[in-house]
Amino acid sequence: MRNALAVAIALVTVSSGLNAGQSEREKYLEGFAQRVRYLSSAYDTSLTGGYYAAAARYAHRADIRTADSIFSAMLREPRGDMFWMFPCIGAYLHGKDVMSPETRAVVRNAWKTYAPYRGDTENHWAMYYSTLYLAAEQWPGLPGSEWYNGKSSDENREEAKEYLIHWITITTTIGQGEFDSPDYFPEYVVSMSLLADFAQDAAMKQRGTMMMDYLLADFAAEHLDGQYLGGFSRIYQPAVYKPLLSGASAFAYLYFGTGEPSQSVWALLPALGEYRMPKIIYDIATDRSRPYVHRERKRVRNVIRFGTDKNPPVYKYTYVTKDYGIGSLQGGILQPIQQHTWGVRYTYGRPYTTIFGLHPYWSSLELGMFFPEEIKPLMADVVGSKSTYNNRDKWTGGSPYERTFQHKNTLLVLYDIPPGTTTEHIDGFFPRNLEERILDPSGWILCKAGDTYVGWYPLQPGEWSEEGIATGQVKNSIGRPTDIPRSAREGNWRFRSYKPHNGYVIEVRSKEEIGSFTSFCAALRKRTPVAVLKPGSVSVTYTTLGGDRMKFSFPDGRWLNGRPVDLTKTKLFDGPFLNAEVGSQMLTMRHGNAKRILDIKSLMVTE
Amino acid sequence: MRPLLLNRNLNLNLTLLLALTLFLSAPLLSQRSTLYVSVVATKLFVVGAANPQTGVFYRYTAGDSAWEHTGAVNIRAFGVAVPPNDSGKTIYVASGNGVHKSTDGGSSWKITTGWNITEVLGVAPDPHDFRTVYCATAYGVFKSTDGCATWNEMNAGLQEKFVTCVLPDRFTRGRVYCATEGGLYESSNGGIRWTHSALSVPGVRVVAQHPTNPSVLIAGTEEFGVYVSRNGGKSWDRSEAGMDHPTFYAVTFDPNHPDTVYAGGYITGVYRSTDGARSWMRINDGLTQLNIHAIAVDPTDGRRVFAGTMWGGVFESYDGEPWRCIGLEGSEVWSMVIQPF
Repeated sequence: MRNALAVAIALVTVSSGLNAGQSEREKYLEGFAQRVRYLSSAYDTSLTGGYYAAAARYAHRADIRTADSIFSAMLREPRGDMFWMFPCIGAYLHGKDVMSPETRAVVRNAWKTYAPYRGDTENHWAMYYSTLYLAAEQWPGLPGSEWYNGKSSDENREEAKEYLIHWITITTTIGQGEFDSPDYFPEYVVSMSLLADFAQDAAMKQRGTMMMDYLLADFAAEHLDGQYLGGFSRIYQPAVYKPLLSGASAFAYLYFGTGEPSQSVWALLPALGEYRMPKIIYDIATDRSRPYVHRERKRVRNVIRFGTDKNPPVYKYTYVTKDYGIGSLQGGILQPIQQHTWGVRYTYGRPYTTIFGLHPYWSSLELGMFFPEEIKPLMADVVGSKSTYNNRDKWTGGSPYERTFQHKNTLLVLYDIPPGTTTEHIDGFFPRNLEERILDPSGWILCKAGDTYVGWYPLQPGEWSEEGIATGQVKNSIGRPTDIPRSAREGNWRFRSYKPHNGYVIEVRSKEEIGSFTSFCAALRKRTPVAVLKPGSVSVTYTTLGGDRMKFSFPDGRWLNGRPVDLTKTKLFDGPFLNAEVGSQMLTMRHGNAKRILDIKSLMVTE
Repeated sequence: MRPLLLNRNLNLNLTLLLALTLFLSAPLLSQRSTLYVSVVATKLFVVGAANPQTGVFYRYTAGDSAWEHTGAVNIRAFGVAVPPNDSGKTIYVASGNGVHKSTDGGSSWKITTGWNITEVLGVAPDPHDFRTVYCATAYGVFKSTDGCATWNEMNAGLQEKFVTCVLPDRFTRGRVYCATEGGLYESSNGGIRWTHSALSVPGVRVVAQHPTNPSVLIAGTEEFGVYVSRNGGKSWDRSEAGMDHPTFYAVTFDPNHPDTVYAGGYITGVYRSTDGARSWMRINDGLTQLNIHAIAVDPTDGRRVFAGTMWGGVFESYDGEPWRCIGLEGSEVWSMVIQPF
């Protein structure tokens, strides 16, 4: 049976131009190896890196006694639930052949005595079940009394396998739920890379490998200079306004060679592994020779009450150039707490390489849609770990009273906020390091960030305030960026409007697209959006710099050049680089003449 | 588990003196009860962080001040159930990880459910059949008829699958109630098919049955207070006299004095009725945390009442005296059960 599977998943390779590609491939692999060495050097001789310091030594077959000592010390008091499971099994799998029998016994005992919580998010389950699967493979034939959960090795392996196949299926048919999260991307990559590197079952190993390709391709198509682009399911402060702080950027450095050098602990286990990203994904991530529109469909996290559909669709639209990307979700509540509905990100002016806006909304009802705890006390529960959630000045989160309509590099955003909503204002983030931020008499806010120009036309008046930003990254107890102390301030800009029936038009162009900043400003001054802003009747009509006529009526009336725009036809992936039909379980990657097809259902890869 | 350890010691140390001592104290021991508490979280719980211990704790209801922990920690333990007839050998825990079961008084545990059953908010063994167990989840009702070896989804007829409580009727085999976000449902065939009961207000959180009169049911709701049915669920009336709050997560009968009923919820403190839920009075003296999610009355001494609070731990009131915290401070107590052993 296993042999038959191995045959079934064999790669079908029909390639052309192998020689030219090979030298580029070798160059890429050499660069990758250098980055791995740099990353690993932070752990190779570390005595404080915990499981990662042990894993690095095991992987390099160096200083095994110290690795054993570190590993055993860490396992005296395991903690961290699924955040413990993956570094523990990762270190074990890198070192099981060289570690002492005593250390092996300590590891085995930990999986008998320490009971990790499975968690309540998609990334928790990816970590939990991928590592449980690997552990069950490592210690087959054990009875339930030898496992923390009372289940036998066979039961654990089968349960984990079932869930992983379920997750892969749903992700590749209707989209990931915790999609495109710059801060939770690492959890999925680590989980899949461990399967790709260490699963004994050939089919599961192939699933891990193909999902690595899938996740990295998903990122690559919305990547620029180390940053994730577009709308996101989840992102933390301050990473939302300092994009390179996000965990995904460590993987951009590792796999794409972009952004800033990183020695993030999250990237270590994948870096130590054997998975190597296909060249075509590198090309997709780095080729910005031509602007392009990229669309995606994802899904809402499981709605457990106060909704009719368990996983309503999320529609993404992202426009990417070599200088900037602007992307959006359609708006509404698509994820709890940390949604990023739209944003512009660009290559100029690190660390504040973004402009975005939002309605800072929160409600117990929203939390109740996604969490099973009691609605009224839930707020305190959530704020305990996500301290920005009920902050009127927060920079993350979706709102049921916010909707978007994007066409290429023009974005319309509308708000219809009922009286009595937790906040009745909207905010815009403008970084301090813009070269220009002109409050033009025409009504446009005209910004210059290097070769990227951003125009923001508020449909209602607002006011400016200097924004407090911590100088460093603040982390919570599990190492996530979190809320900021008010003591440390730098002075970005907040544009706030208190009008509940509101909106704005965003135009973004690069020097390459429109010439000088002066030309950009002059072109925008000739354009004035026409808006209707009444309770229950909020709309805007606007002709873009490209001459397209957009009409947007809150919440979901979208017309382009007189024709209605039907978001429901959005494919799973749709762009020059990635294509996938809803339900297909098949992702086609294209770059130049190269093509790579992932057929997840049959576990076949075609080139 | 201490109840079992006591039995084991008896077998091992059967000296004349001990036998005499036990003989003399037998009436006292027979009056002992054990309080089991499920703690979902503590203040500032973060998944994956170094959290204080949560899960299931227990202690004797009287003459005991030390809590013991059993089972896994950090599992978001929403519910605990202990059948009354086997001295605490069998314990069920409803948790984020699924339904945990112990058959040896907590010495060993097994998660009986798979990946597809999660966010388990309550667990209820069938009093008519020890092999049948129901669980309430954010995704509906699941049932096992083989002692939790396998589970089946039982959602036919449920229009709203967010279920917080399943209550098998103690008097009629096969009759089951479940509290859902869309109202109260009932089934006459063990959950094979559910029908909407006459209580259709949204957000029914909990339902309890009178200890001796099967026709009397009480339900707590998210926004509409407490409802009472005195005809087996055919009709329901809101019980409002003396009540000033809308949100109730816990309703409990005094098993020996069924006209005495307790209720609690969001910032309510504890309400008590002594006339069968016709009128209510708040008894909050000493209660420093007013969010109540569980109330339990000692079946061996109805004067002893316990309140499980959200983030305030467990409080006890004896014979109407002011409440006093008896431990698990900072804990979010979700459910409590007392059994006479």
